[in-house]
Amino acid sequence: MARMKFLCDAQRCIECNACVTACKNENEVPWGVNRRRVVTINDGSPGERSMSVACMHCSDAPCAAVCPVDCFYTTDDGVVLHDKDICIGCGYCFYACPFGAPQFPKSEAFGSRGKMDKCTFCGGGPEADNSPEEYAKYGSNRLAEGKLPLCAEMCATRSLIAGDGDTVSEIFRERVTWRGASGLTWGWGVAYGKKGIRRGHDVEGKATGGD
Amino acid sequence: MAAHKKTGARHHRIIVWSLLSLVGLTLLLPLIPYAVAYVNPETGGVPNPGADLWRAVREADVGTTQVQGVDTGVLINANGERWRHFRMNQLIPIGAMLMGSVLALIVLFYLVRGPLRIQGGPSGKKIQRFSVFERITHWFTVSLFWLLALTGLILLYGRFVLIPVLGPEGFGLTASACKEAHNLFGPMFLVAILMMFVTFVKDNIYARGDLNWLLKGGGMLGGGHVSAGRFNAGEKIWFWIAVLGGLVLSASGLVLDFAVFGQGRAVMEISHVLHGIAALVVITVSFGHVYLGTAGVEGTIGSMTNGYVDEAWAKTHHDRWYAEVKAAAGKTEEAGSVGGGATASSVVSPVRDG
Amino acid sequence: MFAQLVDGIFWNIALWVFGIGVLWRILSIFRVRNKVDYSVPRGSGLAGAIGANLRRFIPRREMISRTRLQVVAGYLFHLGLFALLVFAAPHVLFIEAQTGLNWTPMPYWAFIVSAQLAFIGLMLLWFHRVMHPVTRLISDADDHIAAILTFVVMLTGCMALIEGFDGLRVLHRFMVELWLVYFPFSRLMHAFMFIPSRAFTGAWFGRRGVKA
Repeated sequence: MARMKFLCDAQRCIECNACVTACKNENEVPWGVNRRRVVTINDGSPGERSMSVACMHCSDAPCAAVCPVDCFYTTDDGVVLHDKDICIGCGYCFYACPFGAPQFPKSEAFGSRGKMDKCTFCGGGPEADNSPEEYAKYGSNRLAEGKLPLCAEMCATRSLIAGDGDTVSEIFRERVTWRGASGLTWGWGVAYGKKGIRRGHDVEGKATGGD
Repeated sequence: MAAHKKTGARHHRIIVWSLLSLVGLTLLLPLIPYAVAYVNPETGGVPNPGADLWRAVREADVGTTQVQGVDTGVLINANGERWRHFRMNQLIPIGAMLMGSVLALIVLFYLVRGPLRIQGGPSGKKIQRFSVFERITHWFTVSLFWLLALTGLILLYGRFVLIPVLGPEGFGLTASACKEAHNLFGPMFLVAILMMFVTFVKDNIYARGDLNWLLKGGGMLGGGHVSAGRFNAGEKIWFWIAVLGGLVLSASGLVLDFAVFGQGRAVMEISHVLHGIAALVVITVSFGHVYLGTAGVEGTIGSMTNGYVDEAWAKTHHDRWYAEVKAAAGKTEEAGSVGGGATASSVVSPVRDG
Repeated sequence: MFAQLVDGIFWNIALWVFGIGVLWRILSIFRVRNKVDYSVPRGSGLAGAIGANLRRFIPRREMISRTRLQVVAGYLFHLGLFALLVFAAPHVLFIEAQTGLNWTPMPYWAFIVSAQLAFIGLMLLWFHRVMHPVTRLISDADDHIAAILTFVVMLTGCMALIEGFDGLRVLHRFMVELWLVYFPFSRLMHAFMFIPSRAFTGAWFGRRGVKA
């Protein structure tokens, strides 16, 4: 069975936030919730790198491990989903998640957060595929239609890629080969010809994988 | 021809050497940066130039992002895994073992030793131990404490204990009810703890004889009778565990309950750790308190229900307090309030000052 | 099934029992006639009635130190309960759905604080009732049932705060229905009767020229 993965190529991400917008639009997420966000490290300095991050659908998901009501489940495609009918909005998944993926529609006094919302890999939830109930609670179910998450489909630089883990890593391996085995031959130093930047700050094409 | 042959040989030599040097350079040139790095460690000590960046990211170096919110600039939450380990592999199993073994010890002690009896049996004469206000404060704290302890334990252990019984939906409903009740009653517990502190602190300060009481194990093991004031050293220790534990629980609980001041995950995780440890310690020690107040010591429960204990009970367990009360009663004509049960003065002035 | 009953017929029954029961109780009390008082009035009965109603809001000076706990807890409970009942956002929405009337609710944190004050007051009052020898003696089952039923109504309400589990909302509403049915036949009637009864006592003594 396929094991779905996201991969963000930091060499290619240009922080356009199209993935964030695509996600919000496709899934009609609640106010204040961003299932996906782009984080820029060293913003404005040499060696700046951006990375689009959402739920990485971990194999041994920390959110699922700490959930007091055990509302998470992993689909046959390796997508980590949760059941909002069971979620109590305690926030533990947010504490445990390495990526800050779980989101809450509210943040009020006396621990009132509302039910957790997170990236579903455009895979909906436990309701019937593409039913109105599923859409209202979890957003779009593109996987059921045979499509990949819209964030990755939308990515202009093909930085964010989604799909079966093997395929994704094969694409990335190919890219790394094309760029050259060494990070020194590609990147800031070559593009701007600045001395000192080439070596100290350049980045070998790195990717975040779920696990 | 010879010259021609000579140039031809040179030509060959050049080609061979060129090829050799090309191959050699192809192999060696990429090593130059490493050689430089080897010679000048300060300019290039890192074999993978990206390592610095990714190490920084993993240590929760804060980046920038367009998404507003708490901790959104943090790419990797470094403490998440540590917190998970604490909650799932330490707090839950160790807490269960701690509470279970203390309960088992108490049952075992009861079976082996039985309740501590009043020396010489009850005298039938009653003496007031706790005023109305003291008892209200105690039971107010007790009810909040158990409401919070039960809802908290359900949230901690329900996944393992109650989901098999109630099913996922049923337990989701139960857990939601527990979570909301826990969050609403939590801040009230701080009020109760402060009331407890104000009401009982004056009799819970270390006094002469407490150390002796502790060294003799309160007379519980050797069976001998140990002198004590209004509260013995064990009760004083419980008082301070309850008050300090309660304050830690309240402070960390308020941090968790009011996630509206922009506190990030690190603060929440630390608060949760403190909350969990303090809760399990106070709950575990409370088992002992409940045992000693009910089945463990004959005639104690009355002190917290109607406020009165038997005079023989007082002589057995709190001889110095008994002497003080008797001396005070001897001095004034209001002796009825301590000696004779519900006389007029003890009935109409229920609220002790403070 | 149970939810439909609670939202439908149980609710209607509870409202009817509450409404008719309260009216019946009030009318039956007002129908009791006193003997005609032939004495010459020494003061105004009306002034006595109004005065007693106002004066009873604070304890008499010589009673302050002895009733401090009851007075403070009593005010905490009643004010907190009414703020919660009338201004909690879910209640405002419910009232709007039932009657069409609406008003601005309190913020979430504020009605939770009201609820906490009410809980503190109710718990302290009930423990006082149980712990004080006199109040324990003069309390009967009705007092305890009324206090515990009110506590359970409030507790189930606070448990349903997430508004994400219908079962919890139904439970709260069911408890409210029990409370409404119990109300007319218990001392919970003091909610309606405290003003007339103070007025009666005030007028009785006022006519005799005594401050009640």
